[in-house]
Amino acid sequence: MLETGLILRALTRNKIGALLVALQIALTMAIMVNAIFMIQDRQQQMQRESGLDEANTFYLTNTVFAQDYNIQAHLQTDLHLIRNTPGVVDAIQINAVPLSGSGWSMALQHQSGEDKDAIGSAIYMVDEHGINSMGLALIAGTNFEQADVELRKDGQSTWPAKTIITKAFAENLYPDDWQSAIGKTVYISQTQPMQIIGVVKALQAPWNGWDGVERSMLVPFHREAKGSYYFIRTEAGRRDELMPIIEKALAESDKERIIRRVTTIEETRKRSYQQHNATNTILTTVVITLTLITGFGIVGLAIFSINRRTKQIGTRRALGATKGQIMRYFMMENFIITSFGNIIGCIGAVALNIWLVNSFSLSPISFELVAFGVVALFIVGQLAVLYPARKAAMIAPAIATRTV
Amino acid sequence: MLVMKNINKIFQTADIQTHALRDFCLQVNEGDFVSVTGPSGSGKTTFLNIAGLLETYSNGEFLLDGEDVGKLNDNGRSRMRNQKIGFIFQGFNLIPDLNLYDNVDVPLRYRGFNAKERKCRIEENLQRVGLASRMKHLPSQLSGGQQQRVAIARALATSPRFLLADEPTGNLDSEMAQGVLSLLEEINQQGTTIIMVTHDAQLAQRAKRTIQVKDGRVSELAIVAPQIHQAIA
Amino acid sequence: MFSYYLRLAWISIIRHWGLSLLMVSAIGLGIGTAMTTVTVNYLMSANPIPEKSQQLFYVQLDSWDVNDPFDDGLNPPDQLTFTDSSNLMRAKQAFRQNVQAQAFGVIEPEDPEMLPLIVNGRANSADFFSMFNVPFIYGSGWSSQSDESKELVVVLSKETNDKLFGGKDSVGKSIQLDGNMFRVVGVIDTWQPKPRFYDITTGAFNDSEDIFVPFHLIADEKISRSGNTNCWKPTGDGFKAFLASECIWTQFWVELKTPQDKEDYLQFLNAYVGEQKQFGRFQRPIDNRLSNVMQWLETQEVVADDAQMMMAMSFMFLIVCLLNTVGLLLAKFLGKAPEIGLRQALGASKITLFSQYIIESACIGILGGVLGLILAYLGLKGVEGLYGDYMQGLASLDTNMALLAVGLALVSTILAGLYPTWRACNIQPAQQLKSQ
Repeated sequence: MLETGLILRALTRNKIGALLVALQIALTMAIMVNAIFMIQDRQQQMQRESGLDEANTFYLTNTVFAQDYNIQAHLQTDLHLIRNTPGVVDAIQINAVPLSGSGWSMALQHQSGEDKDAIGSAIYMVDEHGINSMGLALIAGTNFEQADVELRKDGQSTWPAKTIITKAFAENLYPDDWQSAIGKTVYISQTQPMQIIGVVKALQAPWNGWDGVERSMLVPFHREAKGSYYFIRTEAGRRDELMPIIEKALAESDKERIIRRVTTIEETRKRSYQQHNATNTILTTVVITLTLITGFGIVGLAIFSINRRTKQIGTRRALGATKGQIMRYFMMENFIITSFGNIIGCIGAVALNIWLVNSFSLSPISFELVAFGVVALFIVGQLAVLYPARKAAMIAPAIATRTV
Repeated sequence: MLVMKNINKIFQTADIQTHALRDFCLQVNEGDFVSVTGPSGSGKTTFLNIAGLLETYSNGEFLLDGEDVGKLNDNGRSRMRNQKIGFIFQGFNLIPDLNLYDNVDVPLRYRGFNAKERKCRIEENLQRVGLASRMKHLPSQLSGGQQQRVAIARALATSPRFLLADEPTGNLDSEMAQGVLSLLEEINQQGTTIIMVTHDAQLAQRAKRTIQVKDGRVSELAIVAPQIHQAIA
Repeated sequence: MFSYYLRLAWISIIRHWGLSLLMVSAIGLGIGTAMTTVTVNYLMSANPIPEKSQQLFYVQLDSWDVNDPFDDGLNPPDQLTFTDSSNLMRAKQAFRQNVQAQAFGVIEPEDPEMLPLIVNGRANSADFFSMFNVPFIYGSGWSSQSDESKELVVVLSKETNDKLFGGKDSVGKSIQLDGNMFRVVGVIDTWQPKPRFYDITTGAFNDSEDIFVPFHLIADEKISRSGNTNCWKPTGDGFKAFLASECIWTQFWVELKTPQDKEDYLQFLNAYVGEQKQFGRFQRPIDNRLSNVMQWLETQEVVADDAQMMMAMSFMFLIVCLLNTVGLLLAKFLGKAPEIGLRQALGASKITLFSQYIIESACIGILGGVLGLILAYLGLKGVEGLYGDYMQGLASLDTNMALLAVGLALVSTILAGLYPTWRACNIQPAQQLKSQ
């Protein structure tokens, strides 16, 4: 286009002004693209399935403080009481809650021995009601039977003979064919054999930041411990109604323990990802404000440059330029500056990403996102310059003949 | 007294050299009222800018009140402008953001007068141009003639020895122009030396002495030698 | 002249209020964002015990698996085994020493109307209180004799004392904790070191505990332990076997007065590990460490990645805001070219012009700084709301930060104003005075 050369020449005469806008656009682009990237990364983490029937499950803590308390007998009474409450689908005692932040882990290895490679996993101690209570999907093998469930004393070092693991864990153990895991013997605590009898689709570990968060295993244990969780699943929609009922029933049935922290899994998830959510909110705010600042900066500078060129614009109009041509001039000018900014911005975005990858072990940015940033800034630039350009187009040709 | 001897001013751009003043010689005595005329591009404005110390010259000698202007640095020139020269422009050049009082105050601030002295001078000079009652107004609330009066008040506030006027009536209708000119004459009678650039021949006639500039040179002295000799003597 | 420039700046800011608003908001937002993240980082990396941080050392011994080093071999384990911390405690080679672990228990109040209370506890040595300068309202910590004779004594936090005794002096009274009667020996005043340096393993920004009891009561099973346990070798059955195992779950702090003492203590640790090697333990190369408080907080990376990342981003944001300001100031000052030309004609030197416009920039900077301070305050409130408990006490502005905010705004705006001002001062008067 003919005007492009003209605009370029005009811009070189006001290098600094144009450079300032271009730099702003470049930095905005670098920050925006990386911030959006981090937001997406967190969102993906949050969208991973826990494997639980989250909407209909809750848990509570049971802390025994009395001395000489028959934990095993009370456990049976408690489970009987909860499971027979109308509206309850199933319930179990468990040692840890997915996404809660605290739990147990052990490692499994293919061969027995001290110096063999092992893969870590979260451990959930449950009985044969475990899969049903948590709402897990058993996709291969079988569930535990009542006879498999052992009573685990505090400080016991031996493990049951059977385990059910998650599909992700099976894929880690048997990369070629996860289904081959069924029936295989693995070793826990370096030397104790254990047979994999089932695989569930998904069950997350208690720690959302752990890179092995998808690796979990179920072991058939009832715990004889003074502190434990009861994990309860209700019929759809009856969770909130049943939570206080069960809390009260347990508390009143036995005064030698404390029932606390009656919490839904949804609440646990929310708390687990509170930092993620908070960071995302902040990053979103930063991106929006940044874009606004840059946009208004362009508006401000364009209005100034137009005010300074009032006479020149009037003269152009007097010489026959249409309103559209005047507008196009300023839109084009902005387009050129934004292009320049975007080029530096792409380099900046990648550089910032490399720094983030190195310092905070983030993953590298995608090309699509950079492309999105480029388009977004072109739009922001054009929108920002629209009002000043219209103002410029409104300048009367008669201004050319005015002296002051 | 203002003395210019063989002043040259050459503007150098990338490929063009413009000789705005060529061996320009002029002497203006105390209490004089000189009008400078000449066609567009003749060098009148360059002369005025150099006389007003707004621009430096390429070579030659320029003495203002016996002081060699060529030896002054930027600060020195600023100080001399502030102390000895008052300006009046065609476009008035009032600061639009400041009210009349503050506009007249500007050079007094640079002069470093104390608050009392400044107030006294501002009021006295606005009084003199008949605008004391509108001190708190902004320039945009005044007519052109009134604005030029404020500019004159501002120029006089520092009691300059020289008043340089660049087309002072260029933007005014004839009635207002007459008023401004009368004011200038009155000021001249009170002892201030005035140099006025104009292309209006009629207006130029009102000065005590008229010079014409052509191609960067003083081409004609309307009133000749005797007075100068007298002054030198 | 200064007050005159201030007045001129004020007039200029008011007359061009739209532009001023844009610049002030840009700086305000930039400063506000930067200050919010700086404050969070500042509080996260604060020295929680400045008077002693150089004399307190966290002890690490590499007792880990010879086949599979802890932390990929970068750092020795972050806790000690019960065996080692008990041995070090018994050796008493430091000026003060403290072994500790997290604990919990249930208090049954005397008043039958009150419900039992689950409390977070810390099981620690007598030196804990003097080492970490713990402030007391009533009584004091227990003595080393109490540690050795395994007395059932307890120190309460202010909140716990408020709950159980209505805030009255409870020293000498007893509480029933996990079925045993414990004698109260002291009540701590409000004490919330941030970061909670003395135990990073259970959360660097958690609140301090509700009760404190002698460490050896854990071994006696008078109090239940909690916190992180990490094992590399299978343990035997029962609690005795667990205590004797290679599992790490205790933290060990020493107070050493001089660098020489530190050197000596490290020698002692190395000798101890050498000795243990003879029993087949410590098969890895000797890697014993003594980290003072700030070193320990650093190696444990208590400043969250998110916080650092956002601080970096917010500074880039500030730079965008400043570029914005440079552009707008440049436009504004160059738009004033005729006025600048006139001022020069009326006798203004470059220095006076420079002062005038730098002062105008500074005024905008101060306004931006004040706005930034307000925004930082709101931002920190927001951060606190968003992050919940995690950010408790990490989101408050102190005088230092407030001054820093205004200072940063001022300095950065003056820097942003330098180029526009320089351009303004170099305007040629003659060109500006002719009416266009």
